[in-house]
Amino acid sequence: MQLRDYVIRRLLVLPFLIIGVSMIVFALTRVGGSPIGIYLSHEMTPAQVAEIEARFHLDKSLPVQYFYWARGVLQGDFGWSGVSVAPVAEVFPKKLAATLELSVASGIVAVVMGLWLGTYAGARRNRPADHITRVVAVTGASMPNFWLAILLLIIFWAQLGWMPIGRSTPEIIALVPTRTGLYTIDALLAGNLVAFGDALWHLILPAITLGYGATAIIARMMRSALVEELQLDYVDAARAKGLPERLVLKKHARRNALIPTVTVIGLTFGFLLQGTVSVEIIFRWPGIGKWMADSVLRGDQATLMTYVLFTSIVFLVLNLIVDVIYANLDRRVELGK
Amino acid sequence: MVDLPSPSRAAAPVVRDSAFRVRMRRVRDLTAQILSNPATVIGSVIILAMFAMAIFAPWLTAPNTPDPYQMPRDWAATRMPPGTPGYLLGTTNEGGDVLYGVIWGARMSLQLSLVVVGSVLVIGCIIGSLAGFIGGKLDEILMRIVDVFLSIPELIFALAIAAVLGPSFGNIMFALAMVMWVKYARIMRARVIQIKNSEYIDAARIIGDSKLNIYLRDILPNSFTPVMVQATLDMGNVVLIAATLSFIGLGEAGIAEWGVLVSEGQAGIASGRWWASTFPGLMIFLWGLAFNLVGDGLRDALDPRTESSR
Repeated sequence: MQLRDYVIRRLLVLPFLIIGVSMIVFALTRVGGSPIGIYLSHEMTPAQVAEIEARFHLDKSLPVQYFYWARGVLQGDFGWSGVSVAPVAEVFPKKLAATLELSVASGIVAVVMGLWLGTYAGARRNRPADHITRVVAVTGASMPNFWLAILLLIIFWAQLGWMPIGRSTPEIIALVPTRTGLYTIDALLAGNLVAFGDALWHLILPAITLGYGATAIIARMMRSALVEELQLDYVDAARAKGLPERLVLKKHARRNALIPTVTVIGLTFGFLLQGTVSVEIIFRWPGIGKWMADSVLRGDQATLMTYVLFTSIVFLVLNLIVDVIYANLDRRVELGK
Repeated sequence: MVDLPSPSRAAAPVVRDSAFRVRMRRVRDLTAQILSNPATVIGSVIILAMFAMAIFAPWLTAPNTPDPYQMPRDWAATRMPPGTPGYLLGTTNEGGDVLYGVIWGARMSLQLSLVVVGSVLVIGCIIGSLAGFIGGKLDEILMRIVDVFLSIPELIFALAIAAVLGPSFGNIMFALAMVMWVKYARIMRARVIQIKNSEYIDAARIIGDSKLNIYLRDILPNSFTPVMVQATLDMGNVVLIAATLSFIGLGEAGIAEWGVLVSEGQAGIASGRWWASTFPGLMIFLWGLAFNLVGDGLRDALDPRTESSR
């Protein structure tokens, strides 16, 4: 199958998957009790309750209800957030900016650290540095990130008092005008270096916590890809023509080892997205993850389901992009299987 | 013309006996290969220790009455640091013995992982193997459902299901099973299709074996290897995800479950009481680590092509 056909086919399937996901989300809202519970009070007469039910189309059949619900979502009506006391659609972008800043920062940590560790270990196979990297890789997969967060807080916040908690110092960030909603970027745009330093300082621990798991995955992939490349003939040829080992590694082997690693990097972003929930709770980071956790505890279904729908769509699109990149990079991949 | 024996299962006992021997030899080789990998050995030792702790919990610490899965409370000994006589790992804000939580938490984790992984194995294998074996419309429909389920990130999906059902340990188990069976269905289906197209199935078909016989005797017994690797890895994963859900607040307050204990211990870290969160969290980590090590070792041993630790 041609790459173009493959991409088109995947794009055609995507809307159906999203519809499928939205049906599951809709079903969940109906399992979790009455969706109009937050609009009702004990003083209402049965007639008033019936009126509200009619307004939200609860007197219709389930498929019709789904249709109204989906139409609302498409028009940007995600319901009322009981936790934020505002429409979900209004609060979401602000919370998303906070989460985006955190996930991008941890993504940077993971990519830089992962590639470096993987290259370092792959070039020193079966030596101590390699074993240490392997330990990092294995522990990363089984480390509950909420526990890692608490350990880091115990050491750097509670005991040493070096690191802060939260997203910024309120008095400092209050002086910065909001443009993007990303505190570090906003501070730079305003030329306020103090605010930038403050935002960055708050970002470090949560970014490391969230990025640890992804660092492990990337390092592991990079290491094994590099080990494989270094055994190939062209590396021997490069060495034989007298190229210094550093250049063999940098210009030849590492470049090729990056191909499989890039795809893994794409996939780890979904991993980061899931991890934000517990990391945001612990570091009191006001993003969608913490918002989601609050909604879970307070039974705020509108927020919860918007979150599920949003993350699933991001997840689906990311997977598609990764698959296409992978297929593009490596023509040996059999498409459509 | 030579007089051929009738092509029936009558000759099977002899054949199966040698097949049994071949299988035993394979198991022996596999065990030897697994034991030659130090990481796998470390993982196995941790798993054995955890299982022993879970099984012998009532003998290691006196069970709390009436419900041994509730943390005992000793209001005379709240916030004791580790090493206090009688409280080796310290106590929580409510005077709960952290060691008690660590031990009985192992028992909860063992139950959780066996119930969840056991049920998704059965459900996933039945659905996946039928889809792969029967094929056609049934396969198409089942696999589209699987695709949709796989579109939602695992943790978020489990979180949403557990959230609409309300906080309880049973709901967490149910949510995990709802989310995880699809992986098994997909792996099983792929394996069954691969086997279905192999020559010995053609042979069985030619000698006139019934479809049911082929499915039960030839395809199923040979399809379990990939799902078993996944099941081993998931024995660790389910505990990790369940602990995360408990930590977020979907567990029952006051029970001896590692995620709940980490969450409840969090309040004390600002005042220097690090132990109430640290030890239960360490257990979650070790549990996940052990199954990851063994699962990886198993995969390397079963499939030399994906060898990761060369």
